[in-house]
Amino acid sequence: MKYLLRRLLRAFSLLVGVSALCFVFTEMAPGNYFDEMRLNPQISPDTISALRAQYGLDQPLVIRYARWMKSAIHADFGYSMAYNMPVAPLLWGRAKNTLLLTTTAMLLTWLISVPIGVWSASRRGGLVDRIVTVVTSLLVSIPEIVIAFALLALVVRWRLLPIGGMTATVNGAALSTWGSVRDVAVHLVLPVFILVQLESAVIIRHVRASVGEVLSAEYVRSARGLGIGRARLLFRHVLPVAANPAISLFGLSLAGLISGSLLVEVICGWPGLGPLVLEATLSRDLYLVIGGIMFSAVFMVGGSFVADVLLLASDPRIRRGTSDAC
Amino acid sequence: MHAKTAVLISLLAGVHLLLLFAGCLSPYDPRTQNRDVPYAPPTRLHFVDNAGFHWRPFIYAWSPVEDGYAEDHSEAYPIHLFVRGDRYQFFGLWESNLHAFGVGAPAKALLLGTDGFGRDVFSRVLWGGQVSVAAGIAAAFIALLVGALVGTIAGFYGGWLDESLMGITELFLSLPWFYFLLGVRAFLPLHLSPVRAFFLLASVIGLIGWTRPARLVRGIVLSVRDRNHVAAARGFGASNFYLLRRHIIPEAFGALLTQSALLIPRYIAAEATLSFFGLGVSEPTPSWGNMLSVLQQYSVLVSYTWLLAPAAALFITSVIYALVADHLHSRLESRST
Amino acid sequence: MKAITRLTLLVCLLTGFAFAGTLAPGAATPVEDLLHLPTLSGQFGGHLTIGQRSEPKTLNPVLAADSISREVIGRMQADLIEINRATQQTEPALAKSWKVSPDGRTFTLALRRGIRFSDGHPFDADDVVFSFMVYMDEAVDSPQRDLLIIDGKPLVVTKVDAYTVRFTLSRPYAAAERIFDGLAMLPKHLLEKSYREGKFTQAWALNVASSEIAGLGPFRLKQYVAGQQIVLERNPYYWKTDSENRRLPYLDELVFLFVGSEDAQVLRFEAGETDMISRLSSENYNLLSREKARTSSQLANLGPSLEYNFVVFNLNDLSGKNLGDVARKEKWFREVKFRQAISLAVDRESIVRLVFGTRGAPLWGNVGPGNKLWVNQAIPHPQRSLDQARSLLKSAGFSWNSSGQLLDSSQQTVEFTLIASSSNSQRMKMATLLQDDLAQLGMQVHVVPLEFRAVIDRVFQTFDYDAAIMALGGGDADPNPEMNVWMSSGTSHLWNLGEKQPASDWEREIDSLMQQQMVTLDYARRKQLYDRVQELIAQNSPFIFLATPNILTAADMRVGNFRPAVLDPYTLWNAEELYVRSGGLENAGVR
Repeated sequence: MKYLLRRLLRAFSLLVGVSALCFVFTEMAPGNYFDEMRLNPQISPDTISALRAQYGLDQPLVIRYARWMKSAIHADFGYSMAYNMPVAPLLWGRAKNTLLLTTTAMLLTWLISVPIGVWSASRRGGLVDRIVTVVTSLLVSIPEIVIAFALLALVVRWRLLPIGGMTATVNGAALSTWGSVRDVAVHLVLPVFILVQLESAVIIRHVRASVGEVLSAEYVRSARGLGIGRARLLFRHVLPVAANPAISLFGLSLAGLISGSLLVEVICGWPGLGPLVLEATLSRDLYLVIGGIMFSAVFMVGGSFVADVLLLASDPRIRRGTSDAC
Repeated sequence: MHAKTAVLISLLAGVHLLLLFAGCLSPYDPRTQNRDVPYAPPTRLHFVDNAGFHWRPFIYAWSPVEDGYAEDHSEAYPIHLFVRGDRYQFFGLWESNLHAFGVGAPAKALLLGTDGFGRDVFSRVLWGGQVSVAAGIAAAFIALLVGALVGTIAGFYGGWLDESLMGITELFLSLPWFYFLLGVRAFLPLHLSPVRAFFLLASVIGLIGWTRPARLVRGIVLSVRDRNHVAAARGFGASNFYLLRRHIIPEAFGALLTQSALLIPRYIAAEATLSFFGLGVSEPTPSWGNMLSVLQQYSVLVSYTWLLAPAAALFITSVIYALVADHLHSRLESRST
Repeated sequence: MKAITRLTLLVCLLTGFAFAGTLAPGAATPVEDLLHLPTLSGQFGGHLTIGQRSEPKTLNPVLAADSISREVIGRMQADLIEINRATQQTEPALAKSWKVSPDGRTFTLALRRGIRFSDGHPFDADDVVFSFMVYMDEAVDSPQRDLLIIDGKPLVVTKVDAYTVRFTLSRPYAAAERIFDGLAMLPKHLLEKSYREGKFTQAWALNVASSEIAGLGPFRLKQYVAGQQIVLERNPYYWKTDSENRRLPYLDELVFLFVGSEDAQVLRFEAGETDMISRLSSENYNLLSREKARTSSQLANLGPSLEYNFVVFNLNDLSGKNLGDVARKEKWFREVKFRQAISLAVDRESIVRLVFGTRGAPLWGNVGPGNKLWVNQAIPHPQRSLDQARSLLKSAGFSWNSSGQLLDSSQQTVEFTLIASSSNSQRMKMATLLQDDLAQLGMQVHVVPLEFRAVIDRVFQTFDYDAAIMALGGGDADPNPEMNVWMSSGTSHLWNLGEKQPASDWEREIDSLMQQQMVTLDYARRKQLYDRVQELIAQNSPFIFLATPNILTAADMRVGNFRPAVLDPYTLWNAEELYVRSGGLENAGVR
């Protein structure tokens, strides 16, 4: 109980800290949202300054932060300069799409990676292991962008899947529930495929490495010698021990549910947070960026919390350790 | 020595030697623009002509035609070994103009074609590898060092130190580094000397990437810290430092090795994103990162596939690193059992 | 028998009347003042999908500043006077005619009678007065406000009667009708309330309900799906008709898909998911020409655009700023011969070939060959000559040392940085080419890519730069929009911002010439004045002009009346005239 409270307090102070530092960082960067208008000879600097004043950009940092906090309490989280709308509803609408994408990808990734990693580790040096090593090395070494573009090019040639968006264009009405689920699913295939490839390569390598480590440990080999079956050995003795780095990675996966798919969303035109926050970052739509960061920070905190709880649960050695420290 | 170890080590050494001697092995200066042959495909090596088979390969020059290039069969240029060509410096130590191979002017042996300015891709890949691999390794080293340090302290001492360090990690991951980097760029002078630029590059990449290793190491240290043999050693009066060095850190080594194999290629490619801020390697110096950034355009990727050469080089290098890391990892395991 | 025949006749007559009303889509009712386009024909029905780099930010014409929002808004709104993008001349739009007073200061516009907004509400002079009030309101801060302020005094708008409006300028202004293009006429009945309550800046955001937004353009809002698309449907009350007196537009729907990048635009176009691309790079144009037959598309190369890319050297007054190093280099930049030598050393032909894939034109002045009405054909186009450049430098006191480096009169090596926006790959390529060109003169140029706003900050604010590659222009063919660039007090006078006095004689001369041409109403006389301005600019080279790209567009073969133009919006300016052949395109169609 105390642990939970402590974690909550820590989470809250983290979020406050993140927001404060965000303001400081955004202050460091030269330029602001309205700079682009300077290139237009038909807009006077007075208009630009007036616009800046309208959004409070000419106020000192502390005042802006205080106003933003007030707005956050009112659940607005500031105003987007580009969209002329409060930030929170803008973010939430797009976040749903991102979560759909990333949770699907994450589920698939872990469902695929753990068995493959374990299988590969248990048959070290075998054909399967070799193939897995080569393929994961390939995927890890090629830059994401190249993989994504290559897949896109293939999809264009063979016209198997729609290239972008989340739903088919036009006549969005009159699709039965099953029809619209199918529609979204078809659009999900490409971005999920890309995400799964990239993430699973990393996770397979780690799982394989840590399971392999454990499998060659003395106590495991002696257990085999004693005749304990493969399955029992795996699930009772090997996996809980090998789970340690995997759990940390799982926590990181959870943490990245909001932020991890940015590149893929931009390339595949998936209408999630990625393209929105990317454009906001580039154009200095400050409150939208900060709102997006806070959103992702919440997931970050949640993810590491879950990871820590799992670590405690899975590894009795850690439990003992923390009870000492408590 | 184990045969496999020897093979892997020599592969790694081979790649590094290739890059080290980029000046000699590349036929041309990587910065020379040949504006009349932009986006030229790789020159084809011929061994057979009207007179029959020759041991010495020869090439034809490219001449521009309607939609690309065609070989100009009016003259054949044989490839010679150890020719004199553009001057280059070997890490500022000495100068030379001896190149491993070349052809007589005005033709050019463009083994991997040219880029948008007509610069020889083969030379650029070799020279670019020097900066990229060095920066990637340096950045990975920094990231792993800082990560391991933070993770070990957090895992070992536990309690509030662990919590605050992990809190800092989470904070770190959430912040908008984009703006920080812009601020850093605005603060620095516009032109940086190459050495300063290199260190800046490696530090920026490394200091942004330490969080994943930190969490991994922390998890491992947490579990190892209270194992029986460690408790026993402590009971025997071992100092913290000894425990860390002898029992705990070696456990984390495996994970660190796997991470390094993953991080190095990622950091090499990350250099390309830094050039967006002006913190990367600037023109006309080649690096795999800035050569790859051109490929972000679909039309280029599809029409001029030889420009994927740095991606291939990156891939080969990272595969070798991965194999070495794997091998070392399995050697470590087998030694610890 | 007779009764039945009469009854049948009556029934036929009645149904005939009913059909007549529905036969031709929206046959014109006689009370309206419609714009008849006698040469236009096409087929009704179908929809057109066009990709955009990102989503629009707002549907409010008064606040929109980015080109993507304006592209969408422009199809839903209409202006009093429009510039025909093909002829680059003004045409009557919502104002069917206008009279100009002899002194050129008063414009009396006669509005079309009986036309209605897309929600059926009638349009009259009240809407016009309201619209201009909003545009000029200081609290609203419209980016278009400054267009209506001439010499510090705003335009005066008076309602003469229900269909006549008078505009009074503080002084005569050349080509004043061009101001009206792009100023959408707003529906007072929908926006007055939020304006009076001070909430105008929140009106017509992207999530506006389609019943609360209306306009006089060919289309009206049907649906917005966040992050994906915006669908416009035909405006049944649109006031233009084609040669057969049928009410435009031909299309049932116009769909804007947010695809994310130019590459994604090309991919989707190839796959048949979109039917038009507004602007292509040369490499993508090549790609699509190779696939032309397979994708059955029509590509258009419209010739040089109105933009100009240039190098600007920092000639700002740096007193009071801690920029000693830049000040030292300014001594070189201020030397006219230095700039002229650089202009002679630039390999413009390579820029056109390597950066624009031969689809561009070299520039020696701010007005390029694409602007046929205003280009000064007489300014010299010197060929690249390193020898001439070197002799110019020598005569300015520069020399070379033994390793070929250029030295100034105090024996310091000539070395400077060149900044450019890292997100613009074309200007980055130009920087690399320039670096190589100037290296042949012995200059050491360091290319520094910087994020876009960091470049603007340095060039407009801190002045902490040596040289920068930038681009301007492309808005309109007329010289007036460029006033702020060439006037020494102008806010876009990049090489020397914030000058209190013209820094040199030629700048003083340009000032007076630009002022004169602004109040001269006769085109021939204006052209003379502007020609002299171009001559002075070319002689003194405050900007080193490089090149301009061609405008390249693509559309599906089945799009009819596809007449892209060199002025923005390149392909959709005649959206009401576009149609799709043979019954329309299926969405996500296989080509």
